[in-house]
Amino acid sequence: MAKLPVSVDKIIEQYGPHKAYPPQGGFYGANEPDKLVKTHCCYCGMQCGIQLKVKDNKIAGFEPWMEFPFNEGRLCPKGVQRYMQNNHPDRLLSPIQRVEGKGFEPIGWEKAMDKTVSEIKRIQQTYGNDAFAMLSGVSLTNEKSYMIGKFARVALKTANLDYNGRLCMVSAGGGNKKAFGLDRSSNSWDDLAHAEVIIVAGANISETFPTLTHYIWRARDNGAKLIVVDPRVIPLARTADLHLPIRPGGDSALFGAMLKILVDNDWLDHDFIAKYTSGFEETIAAVKDYDLDWAEEQTGISKHLILEAATLWGKAKTSFLLHARGIEHHTKGVENVMSCINLVLATGRIGKPYCGYGTITGQGNGQGGREHGHKCDQLPGNRDITNPEHRKYISEVWGIDEKDMPGKGLTAYEQIEAIHRGEIKGMISICFNPLVSLPNNNLVREALEKLEFYVCIDTFLSETARHADIVMAGSLHEEEEGTVTTAEGRVVKINEAITPPHSARRDGEIIMEIADRLGAGDKFSFPSSEAIFNELRIASKGGTADYYGITYQKIEENMGIFWPCPSLDHPGTPRLWEDKKFKTPDGKAHFNPVKYRPAAEVTDKEYPVILTTGRVVSQYLSGTSTRRIGKLVDQYPEPLLEIHPKLAYQYGIENRDLVKVKTRRGEAQFPAHVVETIREDTVFIPYHWGGKFSANQLTIGSLDPMSKIPEFKVCACQLYPTEKKGSEHRTESAYQSWL
Amino acid sequence: MSRLFRTLNRAAFFKALMASIVVVVLVLVGSRNLQNFDAALFAYLVGTVFAVFGIAYRYSVWLQRPPTRLYWKRSMQFLFSSMFFPYLYRSAKLFFRNILGQRFIAYRSRTRWIGHFMMATGCMLAFAITIPLTFGWINFELIPGDDVTYYAKIFGFQAFSFPLGSPMAFITFHGLVWCSILVTIGAAIMMRRRLTNGGLIATQTFSDDWLPLILLIAISITGLGISYDYTFLNGRTYQFMAVTHAVTVILFLVWLPFGKFFHIFQRVAQLGAKLYKTEGLRRGMAECPHTKKEFATKTHIEDLKKVSKKLGFDYSKKDGSNHLDLSPEGKRSALAKAHFEARKKSGKFFG
Amino acid sequence: MPKTDYNEEMAFFVDMQRCIGCHACEMACAECETNGQESMIHVNYVDRAISTQTTVQVCMHCEDPTCANVCPADAIHQDDFGVVHSADTSRCIGCSNCVLACPFGVPKMQEQAELMMKCNMCYDRTSAGKKPMCATVCPSQALYYGTREEIERMRPDSVPVNSFLFGQQEVNTKVNIMMPKGTHQLIIE
Repeated sequence: MAKLPVSVDKIIEQYGPHKAYPPQGGFYGANEPDKLVKTHCCYCGMQCGIQLKVKDNKIAGFEPWMEFPFNEGRLCPKGVQRYMQNNHPDRLLSPIQRVEGKGFEPIGWEKAMDKTVSEIKRIQQTYGNDAFAMLSGVSLTNEKSYMIGKFARVALKTANLDYNGRLCMVSAGGGNKKAFGLDRSSNSWDDLAHAEVIIVAGANISETFPTLTHYIWRARDNGAKLIVVDPRVIPLARTADLHLPIRPGGDSALFGAMLKILVDNDWLDHDFIAKYTSGFEETIAAVKDYDLDWAEEQTGISKHLILEAATLWGKAKTSFLLHARGIEHHTKGVENVMSCINLVLATGRIGKPYCGYGTITGQGNGQGGREHGHKCDQLPGNRDITNPEHRKYISEVWGIDEKDMPGKGLTAYEQIEAIHRGEIKGMISICFNPLVSLPNNNLVREALEKLEFYVCIDTFLSETARHADIVMAGSLHEEEEGTVTTAEGRVVKINEAITPPHSARRDGEIIMEIADRLGAGDKFSFPSSEAIFNELRIASKGGTADYYGITYQKIEENMGIFWPCPSLDHPGTPRLWEDKKFKTPDGKAHFNPVKYRPAAEVTDKEYPVILTTGRVVSQYLSGTSTRRIGKLVDQYPEPLLEIHPKLAYQYGIENRDLVKVKTRRGEAQFPAHVVETIREDTVFIPYHWGGKFSANQLTIGSLDPMSKIPEFKVCACQLYPTEKKGSEHRTESAYQSWL
Repeated sequence: MSRLFRTLNRAAFFKALMASIVVVVLVLVGSRNLQNFDAALFAYLVGTVFAVFGIAYRYSVWLQRPPTRLYWKRSMQFLFSSMFFPYLYRSAKLFFRNILGQRFIAYRSRTRWIGHFMMATGCMLAFAITIPLTFGWINFELIPGDDVTYYAKIFGFQAFSFPLGSPMAFITFHGLVWCSILVTIGAAIMMRRRLTNGGLIATQTFSDDWLPLILLIAISITGLGISYDYTFLNGRTYQFMAVTHAVTVILFLVWLPFGKFFHIFQRVAQLGAKLYKTEGLRRGMAECPHTKKEFATKTHIEDLKKVSKKLGFDYSKKDGSNHLDLSPEGKRSALAKAHFEARKKSGKFFG
Repeated sequence: MPKTDYNEEMAFFVDMQRCIGCHACEMACAECETNGQESMIHVNYVDRAISTQTTVQVCMHCEDPTCANVCPADAIHQDDFGVVHSADTSRCIGCSNCVLACPFGVPKMQEQAELMMKCNMCYDRTSAGKKPMCATVCPSQALYYGTREEIERMRPDSVPVNSFLFGQQEVNTKVNIMMPKGTHQLIIE
């Protein structure tokens, strides 16, 4: 029953996305705010500190927070415009319900709750508990992430809980757990400052983590060599010492070949390898045939560049390797990550000053949200839901019988497939817009249309929420207190600046009320966010992600605490592995042999061009919030198809021509952006948009066997020039600064 | 004193002198050899003549500056061309819209426009009333034998009449009261802005931004004081009211050519600037060699090259082109390219 | 000028090769109270078809500003600190002379308001001892506001330069551009 109740245009007319701008001269009270609230930007894993100006319980603007150590006032355009998500005309102010033929109409909380709970009960009684699934997101705080993990297992009693971190950093998490037994960036960003060589692989830092740029530039001022691995000349690559324009999908071939060069030249830390690692021999055996000719063919990068990169890395005394979705969004995402870690371990450059490694988590709470039981296979403290000891401990904390704890459930994309097959009948979602962010979203839409009941908690009516039977008006980042964990592992405090407007409610309260109505009220009687955090501390105690020693007070006094922090007198751990005691069962860091294999879908005669997707600086994730902020939209108003002039010439495509891109999943049209800053065999489309602008109509739903991350970064496509041009007024602001 | 003479702009001095003499002559002629001149207003007359001298002097000096001179010359040249009537019509329209109506301010901020419009309209109406009175061009008389009708005379000729105590009489004799009210409200709106807008607070000065508003309010209040006195106090405080009002007005007149209020006279140049743009468009647009887009009129670019050279800025290049041929975006890109080349030459793009 | 905490030790440094074209400065500029949600800073691609190179331009606050010289209305004022202010709203006649004559392409014309506006180095902030909005938020620190000692310590390979040659014309500015060591002037051919 979850087809759209009216035409999409009618829904958009009422609920947006509409572009909001600040009034001329700024919001009322921006000059003389009632208070400045120190909190963080919600738009990426850097979690930059920012101060929000509050006037009459409304956000009136922002003031840079100069003292917060990570960003010292620095912000990206999303951060500057972050305050504009508040006071938004599209904001959901009360629960609404789907009315066939009419759209949505406001209803009271009582009715919304009644309907939701009775539908949950009906579906679970008819089809079994696991037929009601939950999808969540890691833009939520640690408190909410933890509580949702508990809610799904204790109140909903379903195994099928997963989250949008599945599209984000699960490959990195998988690789890190295999290699180190723990899933966190090994160092704080401060260790970048004096690294001699920095490799940035598949991380468009200048657009997706702009404030991290300062750390890279600082390192370069201190003499660091910068190596960027990316199919495009991203802004970071433009002035880099080495840019390796890799063919999408070639990552493990490159890192394998580099490892072979390290071995051949004996640029290895034998002492470290012998004392603190295992698996080295098998690992180098796996790459013994990966010579430069082979590598050039597999990666599309000239030999001399590969050799130069390996030489720089091999000879350095200090180094830092960073990667992000570029190497992780693959059917071999975990392998790519492990092949990077192999380079780090071979040179023994970890657990020492200015020697580091880490994934750069993308989502606001991508780090913390993936640690506390938000995933289908996980329990708080990054525990394993299939491990009997872990199950026992958490069951005790939660006060339930271990036998009642559900087992491992389906991952996000698998849930959608299960809905499509008719196995899952009902769903509750929060903070996730799968219709934009999952691959092959034609299938996602069909699945949503098959749901018998779908309830969504959100602040705006996202593309996915349009398919809901009931949408509950939840809270924004600045409307509920909590903590998040930044990409460097620093737990920071989110402060409540204002209360939710009209009858919108805090997410936490909504979850707790549903839990109560499902009969688990005694397990969800938290009087405050701090109370949830205190339970989380106990639940995480003894796990790898140990938060026990972190308190709200400690966070505020120190402007963040790095986990693991096992006791109250522990100062936190900015740099991991200084003691070389790894969290694997044998206490050693593990080399993992990685054999290169091709992507799930490679180009052929029929589909000859590689399609890759990514992000732009002015948008965040599926754009539910950022596509509603006028200035951010104007900066890059529509997705463009980046294409090299040589490839464009082959197809007779000129700049701004509308091009039809077709894959085995679907087709869509995008204006061509003819630029020399991309590989000749690859086209790129940013994914933040929905509907006919969605790049994920084209992407492939193949998953990494271990992390179950979809392969957003490679698939094969066809290009057809249409006779039409992309509309002009949009170009102006896409290429130029807006006026 | 010698410094004053050394820096004296002779051309301007003579023009100002001429303007002052013309005013005096107009007073003599218009008041029928002072027959209709009100001796009580003598101090105001002196103030006005001084203001005319000052404004003419400053205006003349101003027009001698190369960019202003160019605009002036071009405006005249373009106006008195084959397009005379269309341009005259356009300029007249703009005069109403932008000089009398100050509509362009509304695009800066609406409340600011409302405040400014009230102030400006009050001032202009007040000038329209007081100058003819001061110059003796208008006077009101009771004709012997008819003590219920007022007769208004312009330049000594009878123009119109109205019965004493009629609404018309009330409106006419309280004209300045209405002006004062407009000015006071307008100035209060502007003051409020200056107290609350952070940007204005940071950049404002007392003499340029607050003094003019205070002065306008002082004139209005003391003026209203005179009305109050004869309406409610039977003239008991007339002497005091009249003197304070005269002091504020004369201060205003003497300050007119020097301070903020000079912008009232400069504003007319906006009409010239508009005309310049219109005629320029007709003559053709300049294309930026970098962006390949039209960005300004050719006339403007060519004129600017000459004017800036006169002012001591020579942006011409060896190859005969000129940095000013570039659009603003082109110039920014040229700078970035030069910077990039310099970095490249040093062997590192980053440093 | 009114009472002020303007710190003359502080200076502005620009290095557009560090710019990542993110437009944070542009968004932040609009938040500066003297601009009323209008952005005064410029960010543009140099030639997007071939490169992601962007340039960022604040007012350079020339020692002898061309804009003020060519202004027919005497609307552009340079204060005792050398800050060249946005056009005096009561005088500016919206003629665009400054927009077209500025060698750096800085002033912006507000067509309907018939008013030129330009960067005044966030005078509301700098006069209160704070850093300008753009340099505060700039995530790459292509825009830096601080002391000369700080910048020389932080960027040992570069030197601040405040002299430019456009054709025949030398222009000296208050704002510095970071150049390779040993450079004294940026020459724009």
